[in-house]
Amino acid sequence: MASAQNTSKSDAKSAAAETKPDDVTVAKSAAALEEDDEFEDFPVDDWAPEETEAANGTEATQHLWEESWDDDDTTDDFSTQLKEELKKVDASKKR
Amino acid sequence: MESLFLDFGAAQMRKRGYELSNTLSPNLDTVRLRAVWNSCDADDVKSVVRRYIQNSTSGPEKLVQEEVQGWTEVFAAYWKAVGELLAIQDPPSTNGLSTRSSWTRVYDTWKEMLSALIRGYNTYGFEAWTIPCLYVAGKYLRVFAIKADAERNSGNSHENGGAANFQDDFNPESEQNEKLEDCARQLNRVFNLCLSDRAPLDESRKWGIYHVINLLFKTYFKLNSASLSKNILKALSAGRGDMPDLSVFPASQQVTFKYYEGVLYFLEENYVEAEKHLTEAWGLCHKDAMRNKELILTYLIPCHLLTTHTLPTQRLLERYPRLQKFFLPLAKCIKRGELHAFDLALQEGEDEFVKRRIYLTLERGRDIALRNLLRKVFIAGGFEEPKEPGGPRVRRTRIPIAEFAAAISLGSQETLDNDEVECLLANMIYKVSQVLHTIASPTRRHSWRVPLRNLELPNLMKGYIARERGILVLSKNGAFPGTGV
Repeated sequence: MASAQNTSKSDAKSAAAETKPDDVTVAKSAAALEEDDEFEDFPVDDWAPEETEAANGTEATQHLWEESWDDDDTTDDFSTQLKEELKKVDASKKR
Repeated sequence: MESLFLDFGAAQMRKRGYELSNTLSPNLDTVRLRAVWNSCDADDVKSVVRRYIQNSTSGPEKLVQEEVQGWTEVFAAYWKAVGELLAIQDPPSTNGLSTRSSWTRVYDTWKEMLSALIRGYNTYGFEAWTIPCLYVAGKYLRVFAIKADAERNSGNSHENGGAANFQDDFNPESEQNEKLEDCARQLNRVFNLCLSDRAPLDESRKWGIYHVINLLFKTYFKLNSASLSKNILKALSAGRGDMPDLSVFPASQQVTFKYYEGVLYFLEENYVEAEKHLTEAWGLCHKDAMRNKELILTYLIPCHLLTTHTLPTQRLLERYPRLQKFFLPLAKCIKRGELHAFDLALQEGEDEFVKRRIYLTLERGRDIALRNLLRKVFIAGGFEEPKEPGGPRVRRTRIPIAEFAAAISLGSQETLDNDEVECLLANMIYKVSQVLHTIASPTRRHSWRVPLRNLELPNLMKGYIARERGILVLSKNGAFPGTGV
């Protein structure tokens, strides 16, 4: 045994395989905990880089964020209202 | 019981920690719990268990006498806890006496089992590969503590009978979490058991450290004392020299640890560090763990808003209905600069935002919404007449404060007086968004003395107020840095 680390990794896979058929019975067990907003235990202990979000989300990851200002959208109600309002201010100045 | 010890023996012979820990799981259906419980009684449990354990291993891997003693104590305690659990899971309907079980008793018996395990490491020479047993013991100790506290607080406990009802009124918060607080102390024992192991790394309990830390984080967060997690991190970094690097631990432990570390920074308003850790957690997270990914984004999105002034895309949000509900209305308002609608959306989600501790951070998003509104006013101002025909077009940079005042009041019934508007404008110019300035300070020494433009962080607005003329004079190049105008 090289290290506890290796043990846990190889074990994790077999453990995951073992627990799968139990899914039905787990529901009946009183020891299960359903917490609404808590970081959940992962069903497996370890996974390969190919299974991470980083490896799989490439397309989506590129589109995660967008600028918080928007030049394309100047026809919405609010923009129209704003322009009206500014015209009013302008008009009152000139008077 | 017999099959349990067949598994126990097999795991011992092959030194498989997780398989061994499965034999201590309380998360079993009633049939299996009953099978364990019925195989002995209180008088002979130790001798029955001892015999099973002695016979479970053979050959060179045979357990030595002291290990047999240690595991006997562990499984005798396990048997007792199973009995309490069974009484809850499958209460005998006829026998009134036997229904006197409670989660408090489950907790207490389970704690005895954890103590027996800790003794196993301290006294009976349990090897480090068996540490997953500590994970199972710790995980369910927390579960049972939460259930025991909930049961006691609801007054349903058979232990206290009717008395619990009277206590409710003057139950201080510390008592409400009595068992969970005790649980935190027990988990701390396990933490120290792992941290203080001086054995060579190959056979060290240090490999259990992050799993235990993650359990402690969850417990502290639940207790609303997240700051106690800092003590753990301090103890960890003090002993980090001879600790294996986090990157060689299983992915599940890395992601969980980085998530909590990120949220801790978030709560300290150190959004740069928070974003770093949360982004790492996000990237490493299992692609199918939707709930956990959602939790990571719950904090990553507000971080990102403040550090980079960017919003989550519709595409990102649509995979997470809950996040969509949280952030989409706010994001729309920020994008359009709808100040009043932003305030309403923030109010609308207040309870949820406060519960998730993101309210204050989101509130700061108002600055970005305001920036976008002012930017719209600037753009609506159009261009000056070119000084010479065919010369470059220059935007109108002298804008009456009254225009901003009208824009800011738009949508709401109240109008701000000029002083208030000037104050808002001055803040936009002066702050460099104060948030970004303060987070830069701890990481860069003396940064508070450095002129703000040297921080290379986006400013919100560049210009000055000419009070006597009632106008705002904006910079000709880059009045709203990072936004193209």
